[in-house]
Amino acid sequence: MAINLQKGQKIDIGLSRLSVGLGWNPNEGTGAAFDLDASAFMINSSRLIPAEEYFIFYGNTDSPDGALHHTGDDPTGGNSAEGDDETIQVDLSRINDSIEEILFVVTIHEAAQRKQNFGQVRNSYIRIVDEATHTEVAKYELGEDFSIETAVEFGRLYKRNGSWKFEASGIGYKEDLAFFVSKYFTGQVIK
Amino acid sequence: MAINLVKGQTIDLRKNDKGEEFDLSQVTIGLGWDMRQQKSGGFFGKLLGGNKDADYDLDAIAFLLDANGKVASLGRTVQTSDGRQIGLYEGDVVFFNSQKHPSGHIWLTGDNRTGAGDGDDEQIIVRLNALDPKYDRIVFLVTIYQGRQKGQHFGMVENAFIRAVDARGKEIARFSMSGDAAFSNMCGMIFAEVYRKDGGWKFRALGNPESSDNFVEILRKYTYQ
Repeated sequence: MAINLQKGQKIDIGLSRLSVGLGWNPNEGTGAAFDLDASAFMINSSRLIPAEEYFIFYGNTDSPDGALHHTGDDPTGGNSAEGDDETIQVDLSRINDSIEEILFVVTIHEAAQRKQNFGQVRNSYIRIVDEATHTEVAKYELGEDFSIETAVEFGRLYKRNGSWKFEASGIGYKEDLAFFVSKYFTGQVIK
Repeated sequence: MAINLVKGQTIDLRKNDKGEEFDLSQVTIGLGWDMRQQKSGGFFGKLLGGNKDADYDLDAIAFLLDANGKVASLGRTVQTSDGRQIGLYEGDVVFFNSQKHPSGHIWLTGDNRTGAGDGDDEQIIVRLNALDPKYDRIVFLVTIYQGRQKGQHFGMVENAFIRAVDARGKEIARFSMSGDAAFSNMCGMIFAEVYRKDGGWKFRALGNPESSDNFVEILRKYTYQ
């Protein structure tokens, strides 16, 4: 049984392996493909990614500590008819000690150029799944909750007293992935 | 594990138009810039101006790194026919004095010392799929030869760029050093790297400015001694 999240809702994650799944339906019309992206920022106590490799996205699918693995880019939503089109797998036991928080975001690639938002995309969601039992812990329906937005901060895993918790943030933005990267990365961003 | 925030890192958010991969069986690094306009003019300008009007001499350089991220072979020192001693000859650094790597799979097309000509003025070509497995990573950089001594930096050079092109001729990445505040007063840049991943090669744009005009100083970070 899935929990549809309230903003700011906190969930205890006793799980050692979980995954964040993003799913949507391909564009059945004549316009440009819907290219949704799931990404994760592994953030240290300075509120930054310690190195560029700790930003997990279509261009960097594995974190150096081996804790996060992105299954790869789906540029259309065609990977799976019913299930997740992009997945970020998390092994909490392997996370580098300096990482205090992992932030998950969803963005629409080139949303501005393609004049797209989540409201146009059918059956789009982001969810967190317990990999041990394959049960859904929490889920957002993007099209309903963020119809005019192009980016969503889904939620964050954070460490408290040695164990991990998940807090749903559910904040929509009319921004792109570079917006989030510039918050947690001080280097150069090529768009 | 200690991790440090490395300044000047780059994250590339671009995707290919059709989501297709670049063909990294071969990669070409192209470096281009415009010739210096001689403001003082002609023979007397050169005579009086000393180094002030010296040509801009940009160099493309490649470091071949082993699995430890180090340059394993620093080659040897040889004497040229005019009696000069040159180091790093036929080692794992490809540069103006050692233009062809001993493996034959990575080479510099020539040393352009003025920027004359359109398009790429210097190229480094790598047949990545033919490289010995002991080479795990290749770092590409550009420096202005004797830039400090000649009072030169990227901010002065017109239309300076460095780019990477895949085996099908498709451009993977391009940096413009001219007109970018980050490269003003800089004489070097670590442009990009290719590295082995999952049985293939990956390209990563870096674009890290370096104040040094001497790649040997930068090389020290990649040597065993």
